[in-house]
Amino acid sequence: MKTVKELDKAAMEIRVNLLRLCNREVIHIGGDLSITDVMTVLWLNQIHYDPQNIYDETRDRFILSKGHASAVTSFCQAALGCFSPEDVINEYATDQGRFSMHSCNLVNPYVEVSTGSLGHGMPVACGIAAGLRLKGNTSSRVYTVMGDGEQSEGSIWEAAMNAVHYKLGNLVAVVDCNGLEADGFIKDITGLNDIAEKYRCFGWNVIEIDGNNIAEIKNAFANLPQASSLQPTCIIAHTVKGKGVSFMENNVRWHTGKITEDELEKALSELYSAYERRWSA
Amino acid sequence: MSKSLLRNVVGEYMLTLGNKNYKVVIVNADLAGTCRNKSFWEKFPDRAFNVGIAEQNMVSFAAGLAHEGFIVYAFSMAPFITMRACEQVRTDVAYGNRNVKLIGVYAGVSGGISGATHWGVEDVGIMAAIPNITVFEISDANQAKRLLDFSLDYDKPVYIRCGVEPVEDIYNENIEIKPGGSYTVVEGYDGAILCSGVVVQYAVAASEKIQLETGKSIRVVDMYSIKPIDKEAIRNAAQTGNVIVAQDHNIIGGLGSIVATVIAQAGIKTDLKILGIPDRFVPMAHAKYMYHKFSLDTEGLTTKMKSMLQKVTPQRSK
Ligand SMILES: Cc1ncc(C[n+]2csc(CCOP(=O)(O)OP(=O)(O)O)c2C)c(N)n1
Repeated sequence: MKTVKELDKAAMEIRVNLLRLCNREVIHIGGDLSITDVMTVLWLNQIHYDPQNIYDETRDRFILSKGHASAVTSFCQAALGCFSPEDVINEYATDQGRFSMHSCNLVNPYVEVSTGSLGHGMPVACGIAAGLRLKGNTSSRVYTVMGDGEQSEGSIWEAAMNAVHYKLGNLVAVVDCNGLEADGFIKDITGLNDIAEKYRCFGWNVIEIDGNNIAEIKNAFANLPQASSLQPTCIIAHTVKGKGVSFMENNVRWHTGKITEDELEKALSELYSAYERRWSA
Repeated sequence: MSKSLLRNVVGEYMLTLGNKNYKVVIVNADLAGTCRNKSFWEKFPDRAFNVGIAEQNMVSFAAGLAHEGFIVYAFSMAPFITMRACEQVRTDVAYGNRNVKLIGVYAGVSGGISGATHWGVEDVGIMAAIPNITVFEISDANQAKRLLDFSLDYDKPVYIRCGVEPVEDIYNENIEIKPGGSYTVVEGYDGAILCSGVVVQYAVAASEKIQLETGKSIRVVDMYSIKPIDKEAIRNAAQTGNVIVAQDHNIIGGLGSIVATVIAQAGIKTDLKILGIPDRFVPMAHAKYMYHKFSLDTEGLTTKMKSMLQKVTPQRSK
């Protein structure tokens, strides 16, 4: 178990790596940064996953439903020791690399399921959760991370119904509610609001947190119902797209992008000084 | 020669179509930016719909608008509009014979490093197997514009596939487009490359290279209308005895399969090589790397055609 401070530092380091990568290649930086805190706590403090034994039946399964957040996933797995952050930076978007705009299981075995097309990960996660139950596995959890824009896909809600019907208490679905999708603010496009209420209506155990607050995230994960319980859990993570970099925050311009040397320098100094401020008092 | 980005040409030309006809409407699924439809959105906000990330919904919604007499242009990435929404295309658009134009960007492996989820290497096979749909692939900016002009008065479902790699400008502004048409970009008699989309530019360069190196003349035919297909152009090409069909698509179900069927049914004896993306999942890589690896670029086409020309030709019945 890591302390909040240790996790906060790890999240800061993952953001630094994301920005270094973003200085070399176009990545989905906005949606990487919004979910960095949740992913850091999930991968470094929560998930039961041994990089030395990745086909262990008792492992937790992780499915990245918002498949474009591949960079943050790779850096979290790097922090866990699956490979090094430099591997990710050097191989990203190269012709024979293991890492790219979406995670691909053909070249990277730490990717449980290849994703990238939205609205698939959640239903696949439901199937995996049901499969684990059928095999008599009562300890493993299935984690899936979705976008809030992704909630427009009908398949998400078809799965949301099944998960409750099949009593998949081993399923934990996180929604990265950063309020933005590719074309703009969700409120201006589909008007989809109060996602928490919708999952509640469908019969889920819903937890709402500040998804950029390490202590809250840690607490939510620590208090999850047992994997053997009978109700799926949805964590509504209220986040900021582009979190931690002032010129990216809440700005649709940074759904994807690449940054200059100057922007990198500015972004990194903001991250370092914000971290100092949080822990100096 | 200058180059164009066809996605930009198509997306931005929607403004022209919107000005020409007030019935033109656009439907997006959170990819209005990616599909370069922003200028239409600014000029005609009432005639532009964004249903969110919901491609199935987008296509059915488009069919509904068409039912009420609108000329609907629905945009997304090729895999999402042809596969995610496949049954909506079949049942709501094609079965009802609705005036919906489906535009799929990121055709073939042009999405490169985005990987298999964002490639459309199955779209031609799928769309061509659906009745009522006319399938086009664009290779050049002027061709794209004339095709869009044509589509405005063509009261039927259309699928247009469009890559995102830059392409050389080939045609002048007056190029004529029709369903079942093709365009012979380079004339030649020793062999023929039948191709579409991004490959056309490479085939033209390959033909020039082969001419220089061997003195042989290789015809290049842009099969921009994939369904219906120009059978006569195929039969004529087959008479050269050396045919390569090359498309940024799975070798199964694409232009190659369609051309091969025409040749076989016409009973013409010819050597035939189908080039495309192999029938297996390929890890993400840049499009150029894959065009090279799968012999769709100038070098690959040149090598393949030269080896065809070099063979000891048995007696051919013409
Ligand atoms: C089926 C499908 N349609 C469209 C896309 C293109 N796309 C990639 S990311 C994105 C926006 C995602 O928004 P959201 O789910 O809110 O993610 P976030 O804002 O956290 O990045 C879109 C439309 C896709 N990957 N899959």
